[in-house]
Amino acid sequence: MKMKNRFWILWLPALIAQITFSQSEGLTSSPYSLYGLGTINQTSIGISNGLGHSGIGLKQETGINNLNPANFALAPKNSFFYDIGIKGELNHYDNRGDGESKTTLNFSNLAFAFRITEGLGAGVTMIPYSDVGYSLLGLSSNIEGSNESFESNVYGLGGLSDLSINLGYSLTESLRLGFTGSFLFGNIEETESFVISRSYLELTETNNYSGFRIGFGTHWDIGQNITLGGVLKLPVTLNGNLTRTVAKTLDGEEIVVVDAEADNDVSDFKLPMELGFGISARLKDSFTLTADYRKSFWDATHQSEHIGTYTDQDTYAFGLQYLNNQRAYKYWKRIGYRAGFNYDNGYLALNDQKIDGYTFTAGLGLPIGVFSNSMINLSYGYSSKGYVQNILVREKYHTLTVNLSLEDLWFKKRKIN
Amino acid sequence: MITPSILLLTSCTSENYNSSDFLAGEAFSDSNMRVVLIDTMTVETSTMKFDSIQTSQSSRILVGQYSDPIFGKVKASSYMGLIPNSFSIDSEAEYDSIVLFLKLDNYYYNDTLETNNLHIKRLTKTLRPNEGDALYNTAKASYLDEDLGVLSYQPRPMESDTIAIKISDGLGMELFNGLQEKLITNTDQFKDYFKGIGIIPGDNDNGSVVGFSKDTGASFMRLYYGIPEEDERVQGNIDFELDLSATPVPFFNQILAENPIEQLQMLQDKESILSSSEAANRCFVQSGVGVAARIQFPTVKTIYDIRGQGTILDAVLKIKPEPGSFDDNLILRDTLSVYVVDRNNDLIQQLFYQEVSPVQATLNREKEEFNEIYYEIQLGSYIEQLLLAERETNEALILLPNDYDSTVDRFVLNGMDNSDFRTVLELTYAIYDEDEE
Repeated sequence: MKMKNRFWILWLPALIAQITFSQSEGLTSSPYSLYGLGTINQTSIGISNGLGHSGIGLKQETGINNLNPANFALAPKNSFFYDIGIKGELNHYDNRGDGESKTTLNFSNLAFAFRITEGLGAGVTMIPYSDVGYSLLGLSSNIEGSNESFESNVYGLGGLSDLSINLGYSLTESLRLGFTGSFLFGNIEETESFVISRSYLELTETNNYSGFRIGFGTHWDIGQNITLGGVLKLPVTLNGNLTRTVAKTLDGEEIVVVDAEADNDVSDFKLPMELGFGISARLKDSFTLTADYRKSFWDATHQSEHIGTYTDQDTYAFGLQYLNNQRAYKYWKRIGYRAGFNYDNGYLALNDQKIDGYTFTAGLGLPIGVFSNSMINLSYGYSSKGYVQNILVREKYHTLTVNLSLEDLWFKKRKIN
Repeated sequence: MITPSILLLTSCTSENYNSSDFLAGEAFSDSNMRVVLIDTMTVETSTMKFDSIQTSQSSRILVGQYSDPIFGKVKASSYMGLIPNSFSIDSEAEYDSIVLFLKLDNYYYNDTLETNNLHIKRLTKTLRPNEGDALYNTAKASYLDEDLGVLSYQPRPMESDTIAIKISDGLGMELFNGLQEKLITNTDQFKDYFKGIGIIPGDNDNGSVVGFSKDTGASFMRLYYGIPEEDERVQGNIDFELDLSATPVPFFNQILAENPIEQLQMLQDKESILSSSEAANRCFVQSGVGVAARIQFPTVKTIYDIRGQGTILDAVLKIKPEPGSFDDNLILRDTLSVYVVDRNNDLIQQLFYQEVSPVQATLNREKEEFNEIYYEIQLGSYIEQLLLAERETNEALILLPNDYDSTVDRFVLNGMDNSDFRTVLELTYAIYDEDEE
């Protein structure tokens, strides 16, 4: 067992490479990912996917809680936590005239956490920050100076990754503080192409974003069973570099018109300050209740798309877990059963109509082994976003996540040979 | 154990986003690009005339004459040196006859219902360039006035007939004796003795210019003789064919147009230019003689005045034949070739797409019933080249039929400011970055 666990470490660099690579494949397929940096990823690590993505106030000693860096202070002695996640999504989107379904399957995260010293824990997480994947076909525009029009197709692909270093420190037995330094990076590529008479034109605009974001978190235990949490993420301006490639055919000849970094510097993107509060409560030993509220101050970024503006976003999340007894002899008693709900009122307002969305989640935590905290966390989510009215698109998607939340025990002498 | 399977999963993620059929609607997102159609670019049209056209490489023998209301009396005559395919004739043989065969090669211009005359003349001087190594449409040949043969005929060029012209027995006997008596035993001796023939139309002909094949075995002069045997007479012959052994081949078509309209007479040398505004908003093309329509785009770079960065997607030049200038006899051809000349009207090159396929003006007959018939030229890559050129070269495009050294086709085209249909350049321009100045 131990040898096998050690073996994981050898795979880590390869996995990170895989995740970064997969980002370019796009983890989503959502028309709304056209805007901004794409669809902001909600999927998290460990058990919170089953809890409606809540967990700011969740005190989790047996795994990684990525929603609050203060939780890293709880990494137990001699333990090393890993979390590897896969996410599958079936998205169906409709507008007034059309509908289509898409499935995607990809990595969703990689994370590990360990204790540095008594009361100080650290962790590294790699998760997608946002995903872009859309196809807009048949955008019709007038050819100026004529009565004709041309139809173009627009494809978007890419997304940003979030590579974070987290530190959690126990100030007292009941008060923990956390720090997160996130390196956000990635490419978003938009390709538009059309054919006019005998000529084809393809414009590819690749935005390369990078930025460093700082966040803080805190946990405060009130008694044995209640924990309050708070997180703050500071605003950051992501530095954008736009590379534009224009290729065309002219009289049957393929010509690259331009392939260069654009010198007009309009591609920076601001991420807002985010403030979140959460609470978790253990009821009757077996039940854990979590509730979160998060606010993203998009108004202050003063950003807009041609179709709408960015406005403050409120997110509410609730979760409930039933776990009979983690150390029970019977396997089914060690299984965690989870349910959750998440509502956000959206950060993009199109004609004052905000694109809100909600998610119902259900999850299972399947333990691996008896004495380890290793688990396979499964979750299913059903989400809906947007409206079928005017120009908007409604998306309904089913999300499945599988997280291998593993614990490796280090420096622990075996009692039995 | 689990990791490899996860890796496999990733590689199975072959979701292709570009296979969507979802129509999100144009209001959901705009195109990032603007496309503009511009048809107000200045097109300068004029006419030029080459001093001469090299016709020793013509692909056919051209003979005929007709009167053109614009280009005057158009006359084509053909001259060639012949050599026999054998120098030996049986000593017992007796002369029979000599005949010139000419095979029609399907080319004709103007009215073939009229009778044409062919006069065969005997050249008095070997065909040789005055300078250089080619003979031109304006070259002259010396020949005896007396006809070697003459034929009146109604051409049926589409039936690929071979016509036969009886040649004088005087020449036949001469050649027969010379060969039979071994007075002429090789090509040089023969060429010295017989310089060749000219085929010229009748002075008062007004019908068509007709093409005959130049191929060996298609057009030739044949001398017939017989060898008397005990109870029969064995036929023999010798063919006199175009002398392909010499360099240059002693051959040329003389193509002349006398007394065209006054404006065309102003074209004294190749550097003079007749603007279409001085010729009733018309420009002219006449192959064989070397009259060419000349086109320039002096203001094309004003496209950069449009805000933003853009690129040419298409450029189509539309130029219309003048209504009434063509009919069932004075026919339009479906294509014209495009050449580039420099500021002195020296021909630089034919215009090609990617140096492979020739750029052509193609006759668009889609709206023929509305009297809307025009030539279209796809000039996208040429216009792009003009836009990218750093210096003004003052070069111009000219229109000529592809085989302008072997035809006498003529065209009258509407010029730039013609009220009926002005020559127009339609540019399709895509702007991909509006912010950039």
